[in-house]
Amino acid sequence: MIEKISVPVSVSLAFDHTKRRVFPKWVVWDGKTYPIEKVGLHHTYREGRTLYHVFSVASKALFFRLVLNTETLHWRLEEVSDGLPN
Amino acid sequence: MDYPTELGFNEKPSTVMHLDLNSCFATIEQQANPHLRGKPVAVAAYTTGSGCIIAPSIEAKRYGIKVGMRVKDGKLIYPGLIVLAPDPWKYRNVHLALRRIISDYTDNFVPKSIDEFVLNLEGYPSFDKGMLEVAREIKERIKKEIGEWLTVSVGVAPNRFLAKTAAGLHKPDGLDEINKGNFRQIYSGLTLTDLCGIKIRNAARLNNLGIYSVLDFYKAPYFRLKTAFESILGYYWYLRLRGWEIDDVLFARKSYGNSFALPKPLISIEELSPILSKLVNKMGGRFRHAGYKAQGVHLSLAYRDGGYWHKGMTTAKVLFDSRDIYKVALRLLTRCPYRKAVRELAVSVFNLTSETSLQLEFFDDLEKKKRIVGAIDDLNERWGDFVITPARMINTKEVVMDRIAFGGVKELEEFTTSLSEGG
Repeated sequence: MIEKISVPVSVSLAFDHTKRRVFPKWVVWDGKTYPIEKVGLHHTYREGRTLYHVFSVASKALFFRLVLNTETLHWRLEEVSDGLPN
Repeated sequence: MDYPTELGFNEKPSTVMHLDLNSCFATIEQQANPHLRGKPVAVAAYTTGSGCIIAPSIEAKRYGIKVGMRVKDGKLIYPGLIVLAPDPWKYRNVHLALRRIISDYTDNFVPKSIDEFVLNLEGYPSFDKGMLEVAREIKERIKKEIGEWLTVSVGVAPNRFLAKTAAGLHKPDGLDEINKGNFRQIYSGLTLTDLCGIKIRNAARLNNLGIYSVLDFYKAPYFRLKTAFESILGYYWYLRLRGWEIDDVLFARKSYGNSFALPKPLISIEELSPILSKLVNKMGGRFRHAGYKAQGVHLSLAYRDGGYWHKGMTTAKVLFDSRDIYKVALRLLTRCPYRKAVRELAVSVFNLTSETSLQLEFFDDLEKKKRIVGAIDDLNERWGDFVITPARMINTKEVVMDRIAFGGVKELEEFTTSLSEGG
């Protein structure tokens, strides 16, 4: 099931300079910590002048759409899914 | 003008490559969400039952789910179908990433749509590697640099049409070449309607002249094709099938438009005008950003009962201000003789011009108007679309979403320029 939400979350973002890769390591949502197992896609978009980075990531059982506002450096969780039909 | 009509198959080596991202939107969604991989997924314009499926995944296609089907019909075929709303920026980012990879091999490439590119390697150092080797390398780089779930079908040939045909031979993840050595064998395995541009009506035209297969089509002399198509198109087909280039034309943009499928059946002008205003404002921002002005407005209404009404109007004045375009569009709307439930509202401007100097007017201060419009556009660009809007647009927050064209590529000019400006 896909659930569209918009809540502030805590995210740990790592940068590996040897591979020039940036990836979220875990996300804390609703009091629970989910280690990120895979980054599916990373993309960006702008709203006005503000640049947003979107990380589409998966934990063991769930998918998260994590959005970083580069103006405030705050994260929001915009979508959660378990990969099953609605 | 005399056209050469005694041509054989083009002897030139294959220099054209056609790249097609398989099941583009659905595959990108599966790339983004690993839990969707291997499952039947469909991206639909709207996720409600009557929403139109615009991209079924490879797995969904195997169940017979096709582009253009309604979501409810897709779910009838496969109840477990996962339906997603489009996320244009995801697809645009992948398109740009593909563009970056391709530009490492040639400058001579054209995006034919969000998921299709045509490359010409003639005269570029990468050609010496061999076309098939370059194609394999691009496929590998896409997996490594964009996403491992993405696959492309690649076709290689002496002209664009045959490269596209070759890309369609083995989907997904195919790699084929059509050249002077194998074209007969490949043509013999195709039917007329397998060719892009030949559907039932054109096939019937050809059948009327005794052309039943692609090989017949190839062997047919020019005069017979001329009779079949009754136009220059016969000659174009004569060249295409022989590997000569005829499709390397770029069409200029002729209009800008926006449309919206109404979730509620609205009837009166009072109900429709806020949406019309939003469509005009969205379109106005886009075509001004691209540096255009217009001298014509077109309005069309599709009704819930299947009916359709449209009207266009050319204007003496050059239009650039959304408020002026809205006035013309509203005048058109008041001329509509029908008052029934509207399904889709569409507005466009035409007779585009990119002239910078304007005919001054007696009563209107055009320079002042230009400055106001420019200031509003700057504000909307800085803070996001629709920060400053006409008051009549109140309560239209959710309507006219960001959409992506999966056929044409005209809109790509807009976001590629805005991205490069934005850094």
